[in-house]
Parts: sequence; C-alpha cells; structure tokens
Amino acid sequence: MKKNHITAIAFLLLAAILATLAAVEFIGKREKDKLFPAEGLTRVGKLSDYLHNLKGSNGDTDIYFFDSGVPGGTVLLLGGTHPNEPSGYLSAVLLLENIKVTTGRMIVIPQACHSGYTCTDPMEGLPADFTLDTRSGKRKFSFGSRVGNPLDQWPDPEVYLHYPSGQKLSGFETRNLNRSYPGRADGTFSERVGYAIVELIKREKVDLAFDLHEAAPEIPIIKAIIVHEKAKELGAMAVLNLEFENLKYALEISPKTFRGLSHREWGDSTSVLPVLMETSNPIQGRLRGRTNEEMIIYGVDKNYKTALESGKLRIEYDPDGEPLKIRVARHIEGFRAVVAAYNEMNPEKELLFENIPGFTEISESGLKNYLY
Amino acid sequence: MSIELITLLCMLVAFALAVFLLKLPAGVSLMISAVTGALVAGEGFPVRHLVEGSFGFLDPIMIIATAMIFMKTVEATGALHTISYHMIKSLYRHPTIMMILITYFVMFPGMLTGLSSACILTTGALVVRPLMAMGMPGIAVGSLITMAAVFGEIAPPICIPVMIIGGGVDMPYVGFELPLFLASFPLATITAIIIRFRYLKEFDINEVLAKMEKPVSQKHGIKLFIPIFVVVVLLLLDRIIPQYMPHLGVPLIFLIGTLAAFGTGEKIDFYKQSSLAVKNAMPVMAILVGVGMFIQIMTLTGVRGYLAITALQMPEELKYVAGMIMPFFGSAYAAASVVGVPLVFVFISKNEIIVTSGLALLAALGDTMPPPSLLCAYAGQMVGEKNHFKILRHSLFYIILSMITAFVIIYFADGIGSALTRY
Repeated sequence: MKKNHITAIAFLLLAAILATLAAVEFIGKREKDKLFPAEGLTRVGKLSDYLHNLKGSNGDTDIYFFDSGVPGGTVLLLGGTHPNEPSGYLSAVLLLENIKVTTGRMIVIPQACHSGYTCTDPMEGLPADFTLDTRSGKRKFSFGSRVGNPLDQWPDPEVYLHYPSGQKLSGFETRNLNRSYPGRADGTFSERVGYAIVELIKREKVDLAFDLHEAAPEIPIIKAIIVHEKAKELGAMAVLNLEFENLKYALEISPKTFRGLSHREWGDSTSVLPVLMETSNPIQGRLRGRTNEEMIIYGVDKNYKTALESGKLRIEYDPDGEPLKIRVARHIEGFRAVVAAYNEMNPEKELLFENIPGFTEISESGLKNYLY
Repeated sequence: MSIELITLLCMLVAFALAVFLLKLPAGVSLMISAVTGALVAGEGFPVRHLVEGSFGFLDPIMIIATAMIFMKTVEATGALHTISYHMIKSLYRHPTIMMILITYFVMFPGMLTGLSSACILTTGALVVRPLMAMGMPGIAVGSLITMAAVFGEIAPPICIPVMIIGGGVDMPYVGFELPLFLASFPLATITAIIIRFRYLKEFDINEVLAKMEKPVSQKHGIKLFIPIFVVVVLLLLDRIIPQYMPHLGVPLIFLIGTLAAFGTGEKIDFYKQSSLAVKNAMPVMAILVGVGMFIQIMTLTGVRGYLAITALQMPEELKYVAGMIMPFFGSAYAAASVVGVPLVFVFISKNEIIVTSGLALLAALGDTMPPPSLLCAYAGQMVGEKNHFKILRHSLFYIILSMITAFVIIYFADGIGSALTRY
C-alpha cells in the first residue's frame, strides 16, 4: 500500500471518529426539556392542532392551557421564538410552573420555535444548553439557534422574500419565526409554524398576546416594550406603571414597513393586542468575549463593559452584568404590568392570576425557588 | 497581554508553522490552528465546536463542487471555447469597451445571486481564455475577475452583506439600489480601464484566433449553449419570480445544468470530468472547512469579540480605521456580521443606508483576503496559477482603491444621501 493511501485511511478514520463523537452530541439536542406545569393546567395541546401538516415535525411544539373556568379574557405567551434568547423561554417556563389562573384563560408556548432548540449556529461557538439550580436540584435547559434547524428547512435562498409583502431580507432570515408571520399553510417550514400560531390566536380568540425576546446590548430596542399601534394606550399605561416601580422600559410602536414580525402581523391579521418585550443579552452580541454557559446565566462580559465605558456605542448594558434572573424578572414584571393595564381597560374581559412572583422577589431570591 | 491576544497569536503561529514548516495544505493548517486556539484558551479538544464550525460554509462548498463540475462539463462539450472564440472575434476592435463589458459580464451573476464566487465560477471562467489568448498575463486576468466578483457582490439588485448588516440592525432592504450602484459600477469601470491599458497590448486577431481551439458551433448548432442557458434562466427565475418558482438552490441549479449538457456537444467522459472538477476544487473546499473551524474557535474563545472591540476602541478620529479593518476578516459575511453591525451604530448620526452601502463594499473585499483568500483561490484555479496569493498581491492596488472609495462614501454619507434623494 502506498504511503499516501495509509495517510488518507488514517485521516478518514480520524474524521469518522470525530464525526461520531459530534453526532452523539448533536442527536442529544433533539431530547426535549422536561417541564413541570402548575396544578391548574387544563390540557396540553400541539401546534399541529392548528395546522395538520406540522404533525410529528420539529415545529409541532407543546401548548399549555390554563383555563380558570371563570369567564374572562384569553392571553397567549410565547417564549423561545428565538432559542438563543433564554430569558423569554425561562419566563414562559416560570409562569408555566407557578401560575394559578383565577379568571380567564392563559395559553403558554415555551418553545415557539422548537426546531431551533435542536441545533446551534455554526461559527457562533454557542453552548448547547445551560444548567440552573432549581428546587429539584440541577436542571438542564436547552439553548439553541436564533432560527430553525436547517434539517427542517434547507437550502436557504440568497434572499428571503416575506409573504405576502414581498419585503426582501437576508436569506438566513427565511428560517426566522419572527420574520415569518402571518405565514401560510402550504409555505416553508417556518411559514407554516408562523401560520399555525396565527391560527391559534384566531381560533382560541386570544385577546392579548406576548412574544418574549432578548437582543444584543447594542440593539436600540433593548429593554423595550414594542406594541402594535392598536395597543399603544395599553403599552403606555403599562410603561407608566412600571416607572412607578422604578423599572424603565421604552415604549416602541411597531414600524408599519418592517414586516413579518409578531408585533406587526399578529396585530394586522387578527383582533389580538400584540406585545413584544426585549431584554439585554450579551451572548447575542457581536462584541461578546468568551462564549459559554456562564455568559447566559450571569450575563457578564468585559467587552461590553469596555464598550459602555468608551461611550462609542449606545448600548444597554449593566457594568455588573445582565444576569438571567434579572432578565426573567423584567419579563415577568412587564407581563404583570401589561395584564394589569389590560384589565383596567377591559374590565369585562378580565385576566386574573395568582402565584406569579414580582420583579423584586425574583431578582432577590433568584430563579431557584420558582423552577421545579 | 490578554488571554484572547495570546490565543490569537498562538493560532496564527500554529497556522504559519503548519503552512511554511510542515508544508501542509492551507485547509489542514487552519484546522490545526483552530485546535491550537482551543487548547491554549483552555477549551480542551471541543469536538462539537470543531465539527459544527466545519459546517459553517457548507452551502458555498456545495456551490463550488457543483459549479466546478458544471464548468468542466460545458468545457468538455466545447461550449466554453466556442463562446470565448466568438467573444474575441466580435469585440476585438474596441478593446476598452470590450474590457468594460467583460467586467460587467463577470459581475452579472453576483448581481443576481449576491454570491461573489458565482462570478468567478461562471462568467469569470468564460472570459479567462479569451483574455489570456489576447496576451494578458494570467495573474492580471485573475485579478480582473477577482475584483469584478467583489463589485458583482455589491452591485444591485442583490447585496448579501447589506442584508446581513440590515438583519443585525433591523433595517429592511429598501432604498439600496442607487447607493450600491454608486459603490460598485464606477469602481468596476475604473478597474477595467486600468487593467486594459496596463496589460492589454496590441495583438494580431488572426494570430490569437489561430491559437485558440476551433469553435464547434457549426457542428452542434445552438443546442451547444443549452446548459448555460438552463443555468442562467433558472438563476434568473429564482430571483425574478420567486413566488411562482420552487427554491432549488444554486448547487441543484448547477447539477441540472450539468445534466442538460449531455448530448449538446462533444462527447463527455462524465466520470473523468467530475473527478477532475472535484480534485481541482478540493483545496478550496478544505480551506472553507478549516476557516469555519477557525472562526468557531475564535468566537468560542473570545478572540472574535476581542478583534471587534479593539476595532471599536480606536480613537474618535480613527473610527474610520475600524471600518478599514473589515476586509481583514477574510470573509464578506463574517466582516458584515461581526464588525458591520456595530459600525452602523458607531456611524449612527450619518445616513445609515449610504453608510451601510460603504460598509458592504469593505466587507465584500474580505472575500479576497486571507486566511481563505477565497476569490483569489478560485481565480487561481481558473487561470492556472498555483500560488493564489500572487493574484491577491496583484489586486492590492484595486483593493486599496475600493477601500478609499468606501471611506469617501461613509465620510460623505449625508451629502451623498441627499444628492441621491434629489435625483
């Protein structure tokens, strides 16, 4: 056998070993997180209940219904639209595992883009998951890609044409759930997931809907509540109430020209009042340093501290870090404030809950006490 | 010295030692460099990250493989040299106009697909032979198609670096046509004219035509051009009527074009041609696998962030220098994503559409730069130059000219913006 053949065989074997080791980890990403819904859970549905062709796919995410049995409004809360934004997901899980609905109905989708939880983005060096201390001990939570898994939708076009507006975006965005709304029943995988969520809003007659997000500290919409123009008063009232609690949230109105986003398309295609909230998440940032689990949990990054001190960028970053517990606390408090404002404006369709911790409780005692 | 800087230096030293001392291919050297970076930064041997990173450029790798098979196949049918022959014969009387038109012709696939590599692998491959037959040195031809590919990537209607930056700052891809035209066509024209007067000397057309392979169009007729027509039409339909056209993807389009080539011209030994194509493309594909691993480890260890924050930390009067660093990321997409997005915020007080267009030009130059020097490597394959860095060296003048243009665009963004709005 020639010497170069031996080298080639050796390299092929090495590649096969590495591929097998990596494959085991990649396949492990398909394992679902175990969630422990609170006692008031009335049923668990599937997204395919609203679009049959999603059945059995990675888009067929779980939907948790909490019906008080007392007439009132219906609220929907989405976490995990972007699986690399863990505070949205954790906020949904925290509500799911604690909430007691006393009037009206609450629907929770913790992993709206379930497909994105089955992979991470190449060249981003992201952790596959993160571990938190909870009441039951150490508990692992999935971390994923901003967009759906290419195994579910591939290849990406060079240019993504939003349906129905025809707006052009980078091809990568074709797998972004929050650019896919209102979606279409026979469209791409992401468009079908988006369509099913809009169908859920219509069929379940949802009155108020939340989409929980995070963004890099340099993105201007950080720590903002973004609403469709028809929810402008609602948002203003909530932001004002939050000010009284010394919590600053900027109120943004959804731009009419930027299409495909939940706060625009849910509002345009259904009667729901859509609300999107953002917290500051350094692991999404372009300036971030070493990328690891600690950055997800503690949100400490020396590069962002430097950038903040230099004043070169307008960034929203606490020099001591942006810990996950604070980001979750902001989302939960924002949710409470918007619901309170909604109740004030719609007394005939009240939404009343118990057992939801406030900002101070979560930020002081951490997430441990509120996660099973 | 920070750990990130130490890691970066170790990665660069490992790369240099592997290339120059161990004489390993650039792709393998990049993989060794990535592993070194992970070890130095205390990440051990992160198998998942290394494998995941290697998939970072999966789509371009598939495009390269299929495009090379397509080009080898149409070369074997005789279509390629027939086109070259007729191109020279019809345009040789007006060399300056010919050069400008050839440059625009090379840019065309990039304008439609947003892919710089498509320019070199399709139209670029078509013009190489006629230009060399006219006496232009291979390196100069390589340089011309490399720069045309950069300008094609930036030229409207499709500019992926702008879309990547836009995606990062929530800016829709609207109103970029004129600014991108301004950032690409004047530079392309100037580059074409300079190269024409520098390298295209007087030539005897009969001598040139005599040196070339004879066209086979009379023997096979119009059907000779069916595969090229199929590829161009499918690429166009994908862009013009995407709402009615299933998205095939560029690799599949090239494969369809390859299948369409059978029976259109001279007999094809497909096994031989495809093996040769993949063999030729292998070093470039290996480089892309290595670059993916390299970038993944840079991100994991904080080196990527270190470079981005260092660029942003430059003094106020030097903030434009941060932009000038973009090409050195070695990839248009990486530069657009990592530095392009923060820089839009740095220049927030200026017209953001014009600034983004200027930044996109800087980012696109990244495709010419090491470590992968992707466009130069492709161009090297086309003109038969083994050391593709010679093409890079030869293109430096045009790269610097483009960087100066980008600087002017960003510096005068407001003035340019209001002038374009007026007209």
